Amino acid sequence: MAEKSYMRVENVVKKFGPFTALDGVDLDVTPGEIHALLGDNGAGKSTLIKILSGVHQPTSGTIYVDEKKVFFRNPRDAAAAGIGTVYQDLAINQLMSVTRNFFMGRELTSTFGVLRMDDMDKIAHEEMKKIGIDFSDPSQAVGTMSGGQRQTLAIARAIYFGAKVLILDEPTSALGQKQQMEVLKTIKRVRARGDIAIIFITHNEIHSKLIADRYTFLALGKVIGAGTKKELAGEDIRRLMAGGAEISDLEQELSVI
Amino acid sequence: MTDRSESDRLQQENWLQRTVRRPEIGAFIVMMIIIVALAMASGGKAFNALGLKNNIAIIAQLGIIATGAALLMIAGEFDLSIGPMIAFAGMSIAIMMKWGLPFGLGEATPFLAFLITLIMTLAFGWLIGTIVVKSGLSSFIVTLAFWFFLRGLTEVCFRLINQNTNVSGLPDFKKESWFAEQMGGEVFGWFYDAWYWIGTKIAAGVEFTGDMTKSEKIDLINYLSFLNINRKMEQWVTGFDARLFWFIVIAGAAWYVLARTQLGSWIYATGDNKESARANGVPVNRVKVGLFMFSAFCATIFATCQVFDTNSSDAAKGMFKELEAIAIAVVGGILMTGGFGTIVGVVFGAVTFGLVANAVFFIPWIDGAWFRVFVGTVLLAAVFANERIRKRITGGI
Repeated sequence: MAEKSYMRVENVVKKFGPFTALDGVDLDVTPGEIHALLGDNGAGKSTLIKILSGVHQPTSGTIYVDEKKVFFRNPRDAAAAGIGTVYQDLAINQLMSVTRNFFMGRELTSTFGVLRMDDMDKIAHEEMKKIGIDFSDPSQAVGTMSGGQRQTLAIARAIYFGAKVLILDEPTSALGQKQQMEVLKTIKRVRARGDIAIIFITHNEIHSKLIADRYTFLALGKVIGAGTKKELAGEDIRRLMAGGAEISDLEQELSVI
Repeated sequence: MTDRSESDRLQQENWLQRTVRRPEIGAFIVMMIIIVALAMASGGKAFNALGLKNNIAIIAQLGIIATGAALLMIAGEFDLSIGPMIAFAGMSIAIMMKWGLPFGLGEATPFLAFLITLIMTLAFGWLIGTIVVKSGLSSFIVTLAFWFFLRGLTEVCFRLINQNTNVSGLPDFKKESWFAEQMGGEVFGWFYDAWYWIGTKIAAGVEFTGDMTKSEKIDLINYLSFLNINRKMEQWVTGFDARLFWFIVIAGAAWYVLARTQLGSWIYATGDNKESARANGVPVNRVKVGLFMFSAFCATIFATCQVFDTNSSDAAKGMFKELEAIAIAVVGGILMTGGFGTIVGVVFGAVTFGLVANAVFFIPWIDGAWFRVFVGTVLLAAVFANERIRKRITGGI
């Protein structure tokens, strides 16, 4: 890749007391690239993204943003450095309108805290249109939207408020088949902008194959495989997804029972 | 197929459909039914010059505290201490007016008594709010504790200072104090002046004559009452209760804040889903504490109007008012779970409740206790209606 990376993680270790959640993890994300972070439950994916988004602090290791060494004391530090995290619960309020959700906590105001509702409606509409949803009515309550649309809202919001690295925590889980495809399209559109690095956390091998440019596999707190799409063969991905175990081993084990 | 998107599945509605689906529509319909029913049952008396004034007075009174309760409920909390807060504030003002300022600081003026009382009630509001947000306990139980605490404190203060559970027969401060007049006096005199002026044009030439029978006289008095003319052919009513002014100010401000400002967005966000609001940087705790203080402020305005209107106060003031305020908010379309509702609905609810509470004065054959039967029925219906709205928005229906 000729592009230079925006964020680089080097040898990050995270210990919770005697438990080592992450044991020397490296990660590299580049604008315009989708970096799939895969691994089984308990592999350390969540711990890693919590470190990247400032929720946890690493025990050792370094994070570089734009080639500068950074230390995130809290989520606000991470947000200021351009790390936007879209969690599974999306931090969205169902009874509120699309626009009010889009600007929640960061409303545009004129004097005395009066909302610039027209501007906000316009921006919310445009930002969401850019990545795939054309809303006729920004005053629509979010509760009436589909899961995929909510995901789009949360992504558009993170981008608008300055995310250079977009961390998506299992964006396709808990969605129907068709909505999963919508979300994948949305992610692809964000990639097409070229200025945002995407970390795509997933369980789903097929989804990662469909859109990812680069992979990192975690198992038991370590990177067990990493590389671009070309470097990794299809069969390899499945093996790494299962935490390194051969699928044939699994078949054998299952047949014994 | 490809040009169809998810958003096409949401049916676009025209103006009428949107109006019918507004959350306030239920409250509006109930209000209209009550207005028409009361007008018919009272032979219009409920809306003659004096009837209107009296009805508006109680509507405004209930509306003031319901606005405070409603904002708090939208943010997801309850305040059961409204009634005792009214009693406490009334006690504090009345005692200061009778016995002077605390610590022998001399005579109290109405404004000074109000100010010192407001500082105390806001402090209580702050304390309640802080306990609720810091402890994470249900506001129901915390404010219930303050219900007992403030009721008791009010009575104790009355007895310790005044050797009685009430203060009555205070001089009428409205004459010398602009502030007392603004709280307990009359406002919008021009409305009744204009009514009288129009009335004199319509009733020109009408007069009481010696040869009228008694029933003819009663009919004429009744007729003149709709023209704001009394039996001496003078202006009958001179203005609305000052409460109306405060109701308009408080409800107007609350409406503006909710619908148009950042703070309004924060109030909705806090009540809808506290955690996601917090994750997006909404200062959830500050919003809640502020609204507990606003609720205390509304109770204090209520009490101040009452004291300077009647020149008295007693320990039982504000009884059941917290429950009525919550009931009005619910009937006005505020969700029990927070995050939804408008001040317009609360105003409709206040009009409905005020009219029904007063109905006994205009319909002599009705038992006043029917008021509570009505409240219970409407409340239950409103809760069901609100729940339906919530489910519709969150995709349950």
